[in-house]
Amino acid sequence: MTATSDYDSGVKSTRPVAQSDRIFGSLTLAAAVVVLLVLLGVFASLVLGAWPAFKEYGLSFLWTAKWNPVTDKFGALAPLYGTVVTSIIAMVIAVPVGLGIAIFLTETCPRVLRRPLGIAIELLAGIPSIIYGIWGLFVFAPFMQSYIQPFLIDTLGHVPVIGTLFAGPPYGIGMLTAGLILAMMILPFIASLARDIFQTVPPMLRESAYGMGMTRWEVNRHIVIPHVRTALVGGIMLSLGRALGETMAVTFVIGNAHRISGSILAPGTTISAAIANEFTEATTPIYTSSLIALGLVLFILTFIVLAAAQWMLKRMKQKSGA
Amino acid sequence: MDTLTRERSPMTFDGVDPAPKSRISIKNLDFYYGDFKALKSINLDLPENRVTAFIGPSGCGKSTLLRVLNRMYDLYPKQTATGEVLLDGENILGKKVDLNRLRAKVGMVFQKPTPFPMTIHENIAFGLRLANYAKSEIDDRVQAALKGAALWDEVKDKLQSSGQSLSGGQQQRLCVARTIAVEPEVILLDEPASALDPISTGKLEETIHQLKEQFTIAIVTHNMQQASRVSDRTAFMYLGELIEEGETAQIFTRPRVERTSDYITGRFG
Repeated sequence: MTATSDYDSGVKSTRPVAQSDRIFGSLTLAAAVVVLLVLLGVFASLVLGAWPAFKEYGLSFLWTAKWNPVTDKFGALAPLYGTVVTSIIAMVIAVPVGLGIAIFLTETCPRVLRRPLGIAIELLAGIPSIIYGIWGLFVFAPFMQSYIQPFLIDTLGHVPVIGTLFAGPPYGIGMLTAGLILAMMILPFIASLARDIFQTVPPMLRESAYGMGMTRWEVNRHIVIPHVRTALVGGIMLSLGRALGETMAVTFVIGNAHRISGSILAPGTTISAAIANEFTEATTPIYTSSLIALGLVLFILTFIVLAAAQWMLKRMKQKSGA
Repeated sequence: MDTLTRERSPMTFDGVDPAPKSRISIKNLDFYYGDFKALKSINLDLPENRVTAFIGPSGCGKSTLLRVLNRMYDLYPKQTATGEVLLDGENILGKKVDLNRLRAKVGMVFQKPTPFPMTIHENIAFGLRLANYAKSEIDDRVQAALKGAALWDEVKDKLQSSGQSLSGGQQQRLCVARTIAVEPEVILLDEPASALDPISTGKLEETIHQLKEQFTIAIVTHNMQQASRVSDRTAFMYLGELIEEGETAQIFTRPRVERTSDYITGRFG
């Protein structure tokens, strides 16, 4: 009886625990709130900064291709176009190659190679983007100019319809080169994310697929990838987010021309490259505001990508009957 | 000489064959995980249309033995088997054996349900298409397989739902359905009821009972009662050796070896 009453009236022993728990709870809540505040703060300051530009040009800022600091005429279409095109090129190349690397690492790679390869990929992810930029400008772009682009112009350039994608002179720099550099930069992310994701597949599921007489290709195509599709799409979208926002390396090799060209060999610009390049030159308030408006557009574009990813996942789940 | 085809000798269903011929013959089988010898010269016949249970304490090699029969161990490096395992007279341990065809002939159900990430219908139809069944046959075969696994009545109205939306017991029967749909010759069951509740276990055991009319079945189980309920023959293993093998009734009532009776009566395990 004494023991229980000690427990029951244990104001002294239980109270501090409850209190420290409450403090702990508030601390974690505060940490979570900080994220929201930062997000809101960034959004608010972007909107405020972009306000003059939108007041001047209205929503037509989004589909105006002109970008002329001399006459103070600004529109986001060219950098928006460049951002989307370079990111598409990067994803088209990096996703299949990245998945290939991840499948090789988890399925077919000899055990002795597994660690060195994994480390190499992580090192690739650790290279600062400025180094990709310098390398891209001094090594990769000339290589593209002398070998790859002339070859593309001579072959694919003559094919009807897609020929326009490969029209024009080989500049070396341009959207294709920027897209390829981006692909190299996000490749290690996709590969290492996908490898981690593939490793979450229960060995028994894999074995039961092999147990049905499936080949390696069938197991990966029909069992492993569908099993982890949610995580995989999430990982790919994260990489797409990086590609959309990547600045330095792209600035070096894209040519920084506010131009919309049907050819992916032509120079162009992206939102982040335009901002990075021109911020110091923005002498008039409307110029500065237009650059901030570009930033807002990128912010919203990234948001749309993430929302689209969620929507796609939902659709895929419905289709597979989950 | 190519015996890994899907043709089979016609089955007879007229009651119990007094002396069933052996479907799988294991001869002097040794198995190694790296340097560790996990199976020591196993000699065992699995008779056709019979359920053979592998029992023994954990680590005795019963699951390993099962995984030799469809060469599942081949997925992993440093696992090797020597000796002979004859399926229809052909040594399946041979280097030239087509593993995909072997595994289509020797189906397997695992400790935990492993439905594929697709609809219930697709879970079964997928394997059928891999095995080149005609398109027109697939729906009928899916239905037949689900009936064979005693799952049809529970899922016939939701064939397009995800296989992963079923309960654990239903998922396991879906895995059985998926396995029998492609008409294997042998079915390997690796503790198939270990993740199931008693009612699901009962249904599964009933299914196993019906399946032996068509298939040769090997089951690994930790559960003595289960072994005695579902199997015709029982093989008791201990530390990688086959200690005793025979009719289930005989093993459980009159074991010849003392260690077997110790294990069965629960004196160690």
